[in-house]
Amino acid sequence: MTAPATSAEAPPARSLSGPAAQLAVQLALVAAVLAGAFAVLGPEQFINALTLGSIYALIAIGYTMVYGIIELINFAHGDVFMVGTFVSLALLGTLGFTAAVHDPLLLVVLLAGDFLVTMILLGVVGVVIERTAYRPLRTAPRLAPLITAIGVSFILQNLVQGVPPYFGYGPYATNAPQIFPTDAFLRVGGTNVPVLSLLILAVALGLMITLQLFVGRTRIGRSMRSTALDRDAAALMGVNINRTIAITFFIGSALAGAAGVTYGLQYGVTRFDLGFQAGLKAFTAAVLGGIGNTIGAALGGFIIGFIEVGAAAMGQARWGPAIVFGALVVVLVFRPAGLLGQQVGERA
Amino acid sequence: MKLTRLGAAIVAASLVVAACGGTSSGAKTLKIGISLPLSGSSLASAGPARDGALLAIKEANAAGTIKGYTLAPYVLDHAVNGQYDTQQGAKDMTTFVSDSAVMAVVGPFNSAVAKVQIPISNEAGLLQCSPANTNPDLTKGDGGKQLRAANPDKINYVRVATTDDIQGPAVAQFGVQDLGLKNIVIIDDQSVYGKGLADQFAAEWTKLGGTVVDRQGADPKTTDFLPILTKFASESPDSLFFGGVTANGGGLIRKQMPQAGLGDIPLLGGDGIQDQNGGVAGSYINIAGAAAANSYSSVAAIHDIPDAAAFKDKFTAEYKTDPGAYAASGYACAQVIIKAIETAASKGDVTREAVRAAGSDPNTTFDTVLGPIKFDAVGDTNQKIISLYKVDMALADGKGDWAFVKQINYGQ
Repeated sequence: MTAPATSAEAPPARSLSGPAAQLAVQLALVAAVLAGAFAVLGPEQFINALTLGSIYALIAIGYTMVYGIIELINFAHGDVFMVGTFVSLALLGTLGFTAAVHDPLLLVVLLAGDFLVTMILLGVVGVVIERTAYRPLRTAPRLAPLITAIGVSFILQNLVQGVPPYFGYGPYATNAPQIFPTDAFLRVGGTNVPVLSLLILAVALGLMITLQLFVGRTRIGRSMRSTALDRDAAALMGVNINRTIAITFFIGSALAGAAGVTYGLQYGVTRFDLGFQAGLKAFTAAVLGGIGNTIGAALGGFIIGFIEVGAAAMGQARWGPAIVFGALVVVLVFRPAGLLGQQVGERA
Repeated sequence: MKLTRLGAAIVAASLVVAACGGTSSGAKTLKIGISLPLSGSSLASAGPARDGALLAIKEANAAGTIKGYTLAPYVLDHAVNGQYDTQQGAKDMTTFVSDSAVMAVVGPFNSAVAKVQIPISNEAGLLQCSPANTNPDLTKGDGGKQLRAANPDKINYVRVATTDDIQGPAVAQFGVQDLGLKNIVIIDDQSVYGKGLADQFAAEWTKLGGTVVDRQGADPKTTDFLPILTKFASESPDSLFFGGVTANGGGLIRKQMPQAGLGDIPLLGGDGIQDQNGGVAGSYINIAGAAAANSYSSVAAIHDIPDAAAFKDKFTAEYKTDPGAYAASGYACAQVIIKAIETAASKGDVTREAVRAAGSDPNTTFDTVLGPIKFDAVGDTNQKIISLYKVDMALADGKGDWAFVKQINYGQ
């Protein structure tokens, strides 16, 4: 076996040989889950599940990337997503947009700007968090950064609340501007498909594919993979570890920011403690799919979306969370590494 | 060394505090606890109740109602992260119980909190008056007996709001008879209050010939009601009932109903969604936004209080704002407690037990801002009035507010 850091195109495979075959199997699994869900749920609930799943998946990817590279359960990640919802609403609110925008051109510009600014800002937030709370503890026992992660979570929640009514949003539910008309539907074969749901799904899938290409095909992606595999060896081969980890945090947090924007558009409301539940679900998604594995995290996010929506569709919404965590237990019993297996170094 | 010094500092500080407390004035101080959720989403509804109680205490002091004593309010907020918290509520009640100057407590606001507070206050024999609790099991039947296990015969918990076994059916009657609705879907927030109210509502709705098409309990933390609403939409209901409070999704459900194609049907709810106008952050109307129109709610208390103008004037003079839905109820609770302390003081027996006995005496008529009130053998008010409201988006400068529709008296 060649030294992992020098094998440019081969992420460590557990059961299957060749990255292409492995990817194909994983995508086939995703497709199978989707087909099954469509058959059970019917078109409307299927779309609800895809929308919710997209948001979970975007958050879960950031979780899993951070774990993949420094083996840290970043408990503050859900709160980064929450900050994203607030950055987006502050941005639109400052520009004076609080209601649906019906001019298509303006809407496209606004949405693009909203996503771009929120993602960059959140990326920077992620880098700052990594620099101040995690990097100083990188050689400390693993429990230490776990505790600072919880501290960061508290700091973010309280920063957003501020000192009402002087600044900040207080401990209330705050309305997020739904600039994308929520009453716009496409009629597809007898089903009203909300255009917003299509947009959210397209954004999520677009970002996931971009991420996959970025990690698989670029130089920085290669340093990320090698750092995840063996940090010391990567450093010896000339990879700038600090920069690579910072970039990972930037990307993960930017994705959480994108999730925040889509969340605001879809639900039109946010709260300072939104990150806790979202983070818990995203963490579950990441573990479900195999922590450290971005495709696994996305799959996990969609599965949780489908379970929750499925429970409601069967008239058992109150059992949704219980079934989600029940599924996690079952998966971990039979596949301790998650559905798609971990894609981290041998130490994991 | 450091620790010892810190300890010394704490001891010194507490001595100073104790000294200040002891030498405040010539008259002896009696405390009235106020136990409400006072931050976040809960403030919009519970804040006015606190203000009402504070106003009554201030007036009693100014008038010298209780000779030789000064009344001091002792406010504890049991909202954690902006939502009422049962554990904090229990802790606060323990704090009141362990402070011997506390004679009685106004509160709590939410039935789930009452459920954990009553056993504590009952064991200590501390009078408690809730301005807003409506769950019947807090007082009646086996539920009430269990909560009073320590002192079954000493009623220490009274309330000026009537109960959900009247409120739920009242909203159902209003929906079927006045609004002409028939096929309803129900969501509850799985809380003591929300589920109980929805049960009472559903039973009466069916009895009146209506159909409960579907019902689901929703996780109080969820923000995504679309899956539930989508399922409901496929069943073509003509109305939706929400049993729960705003903080657990009331406004959000209304906001998402148009997204699921249920924008045209009315939402009915209880007092849990009846909070302040659309200009107040975190209120039902504020969260639901434009979709809030076509929402109905109730309050398990009188709307047309006997001297509404006078109460409004003095409340507005004190707080520069109109009294909210529970201001009069908070004021009335404080009045009940002050009257009880007055009765105890007139007998020269200012103890918790005397105050409790006077406050829960079924033969006493309390002359409150809500009108004359008597409590029955388990502490429930004899004023069984339900007020009904509808959202009017033209009110509160276009931000929307609850407009009074009518009140129904079930007392006769």
